[in-house]
Amino acid sequence: MTTRPGRWLAALLALSAAAAGVRADGRQARDAGGLRAPTAALERGRAVYVLNHCHFCHGTDLTRATMGAANLSQSPLVGADTDGETIGAIVKAGLPNLQTAMPSYAELTPAEIVDLARYIHYLRQQVRFRELSTVADAPAGDAAAGRAYFNGPGNCGACHSPTGDLSGIGGKYDLRTLTARLLRPGPATPAEGRQPSTGLAAHLRLLENYVPADVQNLVAFLSGLR
Amino acid sequence: MTWSRRDLLALLSAAPLSPVLARPPQSPVTTVNGVVFGVETFSFHDLPPAGDPALIPTIIGNLRALGIAECEIMSGHIEPFPSVMTGWWVQSRRAPDFARLREEARRWRLSVPMSYYTDIRRRFEDAGLRIYLYNVNFNETFTDAERHRTFEAARALGAEGFSSSTVLSEARRLVPFVEKHQMFVAMHNHNNLVDPDQFATPESFETALAMSPRFHVTLDIGHFTAGNNDAVAFVRQHHARIVNIHVRDRKRNNGPNRPFGQGDTPIAEVLRLIRDNRYRIRCYLEYEYGSFRPSLEEVKACFEYCRTVLAS
Repeated sequence: MTTRPGRWLAALLALSAAAAGVRADGRQARDAGGLRAPTAALERGRAVYVLNHCHFCHGTDLTRATMGAANLSQSPLVGADTDGETIGAIVKAGLPNLQTAMPSYAELTPAEIVDLARYIHYLRQQVRFRELSTVADAPAGDAAAGRAYFNGPGNCGACHSPTGDLSGIGGKYDLRTLTARLLRPGPATPAEGRQPSTGLAAHLRLLENYVPADVQNLVAFLSGLR
Repeated sequence: MTWSRRDLLALLSAAPLSPVLARPPQSPVTTVNGVVFGVETFSFHDLPPAGDPALIPTIIGNLRALGIAECEIMSGHIEPFPSVMTGWWVQSRRAPDFARLREEARRWRLSVPMSYYTDIRRRFEDAGLRIYLYNVNFNETFTDAERHRTFEAARALGAEGFSSSTVLSEARRLVPFVEKHQMFVAMHNHNNLVDPDQFATPESFETALAMSPRFHVTLDIGHFTAGNNDAVAFVRQHHARIVNIHVRDRKRNNGPNRPFGQGDTPIAEVLRLIRDNRYRIRCYLEYEYGSFRPSLEEVKACFEYCRTVLAS
């Protein structure tokens, strides 16, 4: 039997879960604008996205672009954006030259643009993690190319060293775990009220911009560090 | 669905004058103060995917829940494949697999028996509903055989004609087809003011209207306003060639869709103009602003807004 304090505690937990968009059965709540976002800040961004009907063309999770709209989970413009500077410029001006003209959202405030951009990046990271984490199922990478990426465009050497913190990492993790940690070495759900650390932010930026071969090559390189 | 004496009189007075409205007396129709309403099925954003057996029953259920008897149904809600396979979106034509998918759609269109369409028509009619317009976005990827077959499909669906997001260059190709099949095509506008082939301005419509008496207009008053055009003036000038309007509310200067009454589109003025002059223009709701609520609830709210403005 549940005691009265137990019932209160259960009610409080349910309320806080509901505030985070989690249903009683642990699944993320859904409405016409897609899944509820896991934090209040991202939920503000989702409100900008949905109430300005972005989802009708770009999809509720970025993967179902319709009506000639760009697939934002793959768009290089979104990949180049860090905190709304590129996304905001396009959204405010619109794309009047497109076949059916993307509207201009000139009335959005700078804060709304940042919220929107962070929500789009969050969705993109979810999509690309799902997509890229499957490369471990068929490792066919080129370790030399992985090393070149590590030391070159990936700029991984700024924080990591094959003979330092990464020494022996190939024997520490199986390929699937290694791939997951490479893609997102942090929680799948961001913490309320906190931006990712500099290191995690760098990984998430790479996650948004990798092509599958980059990941395959990096995994081949890292798995050889024993 | 309620009929007032005024509604009946308005329809009876309009019918003999209008080839667009002429139909058997039992055809279902929904009016508000003499203005005929319908729904563009694009408004139902949360439908099952193309080809899903639940798709048509869901549209029928939504129309019945709204108490609206007729619709303009999108080809993507009739054909069992996504409309991206039919070539309207020029961006989609760049997809690596597009040629194969387009050919697949073409083969289906040329081989499907007409009973496929008449069965859908029967399901609407059994529910007391009607497909008034078939929304097909004719474009340069259609073959002539496909255009011909699409006209046959529209007739089998029971549609009076087409509403089409098309372009002027395609309209020229359609002239012999509207003559042969004796059906109209109503050109639908967006608001791309850069490409002169697009329907977006009064001049673009006038160019098409001069090509054939069987060319008409589906005036999207929201897009028209977003393109900084005057919807009231256009309706007043061209009412005899406008089959229907798409009722939506957008801001000017290519602004976004907004809930009815919150944008710059003169919805109330246009609806009252149609009511007061008994123009034979049907008013089709098109919901496209953002909301967390299901589409059906928002289309209900759109209809309620229109009822309110027509009550005064």
